[in-house]
Amino acid sequence: MAIAETISSPLAARAVTASKIYGQDDNEVRALDGISVEFARSRFTAIMGPSGSGKSTLLHCLAGLDRVTAGQVFLGDIEISTCKEKQLTLIRRDRIGFVFQAYNLVPTLTALENMTLPMALAGRKPDKEWFDSVVDMLHMRDRLAHRPSELSGGQQQRVAVARALMSRPEVIFADEPTGNLDSRSSTEILTFMRGAVRSLDQTIVMVTHDPVAASFSDRVVFLADGKIVDEMSDPTSDGVLERLKSLGN
Amino acid sequence: MFRLTWKGLLAHKLRFALTALSVMLGVSFLTGTNVLTDTITKTFNEMFANAYAGTDAYVRARSKIDSQFGTQRARIDGSLLPQIRTIDGVLDAQGTLAFYAQMADSSGKPIGQPGRGAPTFGFNWVPDGKLSPWKLVSFKGVESAAPASDDEVVIDKASAHLGNLKIGGKVRVLTQLAPKEYMVVGVAMFGTIDSPGGASAVMMTTREAQRITAPPVAPDVPAQTNQFDAIAVASRPGISQEEMALRVRDVVGEPARYEVLTGAQVTAETQSEIEKSLSFFRIGLTIFAYIALFVSIFIIFNTFSIIVAQRLRELALLRAIGASGRQVMFSVLGEAVLVGLFASAAGVIGGIVVAAGLKAMLAGFGIDIPTGDVVVARGTVLLAMVVGTLVTTLSAILPARRASKIAPVAAMRDVALEPNTRKARWTIIGLVLTALGTCALFFGLFGGPSNGIAFVGLGAMVIFLGVAVLGPTLARPVSKVLGWPVARLRGITGELARDNAVRNPRRTALTAAALMIGVALVALITIFAASTKASVSVAVDRAFKADYVIDAKGGGFGGGFSPELAKRVAALDEVSAASGLRFGAFKVDGGTKFIVSADPKAMGDLFDIDPVAGDFPALGVNEIAISTKIAKDLKLEVGSRLPVQFLTAEDMTVGAIYAAGQREGLSDYFISLEAFDKRYPERIDNQVLAHLAEGVTPAAGKRAINEVLIDYPTAELQDQAEFKQSRLDQINMFVNLIYALLALAVIIAGIGIANTLALSIVERTRELGLLRAIGMTRAQLRAAVRWEAVIISLFGAAMGLVVGLFFGWAIVEALKSEGITEFVPPGPQLLVVVAIAVFVGVLFALLPARRAARLDILKAIEAE
Repeated sequence: MAIAETISSPLAARAVTASKIYGQDDNEVRALDGISVEFARSRFTAIMGPSGSGKSTLLHCLAGLDRVTAGQVFLGDIEISTCKEKQLTLIRRDRIGFVFQAYNLVPTLTALENMTLPMALAGRKPDKEWFDSVVDMLHMRDRLAHRPSELSGGQQQRVAVARALMSRPEVIFADEPTGNLDSRSSTEILTFMRGAVRSLDQTIVMVTHDPVAASFSDRVVFLADGKIVDEMSDPTSDGVLERLKSLGN
Repeated sequence: MFRLTWKGLLAHKLRFALTALSVMLGVSFLTGTNVLTDTITKTFNEMFANAYAGTDAYVRARSKIDSQFGTQRARIDGSLLPQIRTIDGVLDAQGTLAFYAQMADSSGKPIGQPGRGAPTFGFNWVPDGKLSPWKLVSFKGVESAAPASDDEVVIDKASAHLGNLKIGGKVRVLTQLAPKEYMVVGVAMFGTIDSPGGASAVMMTTREAQRITAPPVAPDVPAQTNQFDAIAVASRPGISQEEMALRVRDVVGEPARYEVLTGAQVTAETQSEIEKSLSFFRIGLTIFAYIALFVSIFIIFNTFSIIVAQRLRELALLRAIGASGRQVMFSVLGEAVLVGLFASAAGVIGGIVVAAGLKAMLAGFGIDIPTGDVVVARGTVLLAMVVGTLVTTLSAILPARRASKIAPVAAMRDVALEPNTRKARWTIIGLVLTALGTCALFFGLFGGPSNGIAFVGLGAMVIFLGVAVLGPTLARPVSKVLGWPVARLRGITGELARDNAVRNPRRTALTAAALMIGVALVALITIFAASTKASVSVAVDRAFKADYVIDAKGGGFGGGFSPELAKRVAALDEVSAASGLRFGAFKVDGGTKFIVSADPKAMGDLFDIDPVAGDFPALGVNEIAISTKIAKDLKLEVGSRLPVQFLTAEDMTVGAIYAAGQREGLSDYFISLEAFDKRYPERIDNQVLAHLAEGVTPAAGKRAINEVLIDYPTAELQDQAEFKQSRLDQINMFVNLIYALLALAVIIAGIGIANTLALSIVERTRELGLLRAIGMTRAQLRAAVRWEAVIISLFGAAMGLVVGLFFGWAIVEALKSEGITEFVPPGPQLLVVVAIAVFVGVLFALLPARRAARLDILKAIEAE
């Protein structure tokens, strides 16, 4: 299979003059307009931008959930923009982790089963040591047998993060992971995510509209009208807010 | 509100179509049955109206024997005919005779399908066109003539074609006398058709017909060679049928012996007899249509329950913006009415198409029905529309009521989709229903009410309902157990399938309950058939001593042999004992009973009838032998007088008592062949049994008997094992027919599975999107849906098997006295039933599984 070992590349993911166009002719909407962007390994990158700027589309295309209309998308060395649906599924399962805003978990499965779901789908057993360290890091040891309906929003999101980490993916893509959480739970989740990047060398790409959330990242990429308009390293929430204001409004 | 209902329907075409389909199938079946029987009835009605068109008055004997095989009537004295002909106003009067007559073609092959197809008749040729529906026609360029001498016959055109016969050629005719060869002098058509309903007809001179039908010369019965079944009278113009009947009645006299009917009365009576014999067919098929509709009730109820749960937010919003509970209820009911009306209309059309197809198929089988239109009675359409719409609407009432009770505040709240907590009350209701149904079933089977079958049906229905109500309580634990191996074997897909199957016990249980009904009925029939077959085997093994049975080809009723055959077989050196065996009906102890007749002297070698009192072999012409059971029930002993009625009432003497009665697979009543000849107008052996003489090899015996059978082309020689097998084959044929009819109920249950899964998938859109996003392949998703169907089907099959075993046991127990002595639940066949149920589940899960796998991931995870 084409999914060879990809550690060689210094970049975890990148898009090369990627476009995503919806509709035709007069109704044409360019969600991504020839965008080129790179995401380095072991870094926590935030994608920001006003509504309709294309930030979610970019994330979906990078994660193999959606296809670009033109240009290329790579995960490590694999060009996923040319992969077949079945290959994409396996790439998502084995090399990508996901955290969504809500409805992140399968309601019929326990926390433990949810965490190991991608590995179970692949028919693999999780590495015991790794599993223990992730579970302990997220303080979920005593909640493993609970079902999602028995967990708080913050706990559910921690299970989702644990699931994303469990298969040690190339990249974790997070789509507004704190959108449904109160500020305390948000801080908790973001701290975990940053911790995973710092101490476990994990790569995370996160879409958010919250400057506070963005301030946990190493680098912020700003999008407007399907193009990269700016970026910022080691952001602070105030700095991000300023930049956002100057952008669209 | 109506606009909303309509829009809702349009928005969910698939849901609409699947729900409608389940009702449509049942309605189609109902309509098809009625249209087909109406069409056949009309055809026969016209045929008989035709046959009696010129008859104004009709004389026949009053005494008769009615049985399930038809009516046999005494014959009347031919000397009445000249008297009737002298009555003022009579244009013509003719005596008529009808009897068993089987034609064979030049190669000796029987014409038609003896024993299986339409009957084979002999008639006396009635010359006058007005009193006979038969018209002579020219055939292959040769003109027909009426039979003038006793070895000339006229035959029907269909037989002439089938047997490749021609005018001037020879035809062999088998009757109750020895076979005889006749010259074909004419070919006739019945009105405008070649033969009535595919029956064959051979018509000879009245004298020849009277010779064939003349009662035998029994020791105390004088030969009567001038008899008719009836005399038909045609009047001159201007005389009413009633007037002519009066005049004939005056001349004939003896009102206790003869009855005189008008032509219209005879026609009406014959038509009502046809209707009665077809009503058996109509009721039989209708039962299966209603079973199908009963299954649909579960599916519609389930579908609407799920829909209401899924539309909870929307309905609550309606309430919040000012719709009343009643309005919400009626919007849901409105959808049901629309579905019902649409499904019923489609069902009616489907039914008519099916009936037309079946009619064409009948014609293909050689049952020639005159080309008439398919009869679509207004009542048929009305019934189908009402039943279909009512079933759909009534099934939606409870879900609609639940919808009306949704609180407006639910629009704002995140609430559980369906109530998963179950009140203990429902478990109790389920138990009570099951118990009540069991009581009704037992009363119907063992209580001996006159309408027992109705109680059995009602009991079965209530038991089904009771078990269905218990279903949700059982669903969680049972599905967990059934799903365990699936989860073990299939890993995470199996686990997800199991969890999905148990997450909504109500839904799973209702879906499974629909399948349960089909499985239970199939299991019941399987058990019943296996038990009957085992009982037949046991009975044949125990009581059958004859080495060979000569049976009509294809078995069944209507076929038979001249007693000559048995006489010739008995005369063979290779045969130590042989006898014809005849079955009849008579009245005794207030009911119509089955009676067997054979040569009592030969019986000892043919059957282990186990005589316990009296001199069985010496049974006299006015003596009857009875089983020990009857002797006990009616408190009779040898020498007692038993009032009976064959054609006329009489007292017979109990001549012998034997142990092996109906319970043992034989008959409770027995008379000698001489006694039978004296009491029945027709004397045809239904079977001939033979026992080989000592030292004769089976091969030699078979050769000798087969030599005799050359003259009897409808006869088939079977040894004991073959005879047993042919009985079992007959049961198999019957059982296969019922399986085919029950398939409809199973298919509808399959639609229910498809519907439930499709609706569940809509509900789990987000979750499925998530699963796909994090790496579940399409194949895995499809497998998970399929395995969910497997668990639901297994649950339904398990419930069905339990209920079916119970029904089977109860019915076999109830029929012990009728000779079904063995209760045999056949393990392998029942496993096949379960396998088929699972197969149906998987089959109907294919489409929903595909839809689930095709889901657009992005849309799914972004869906509200």
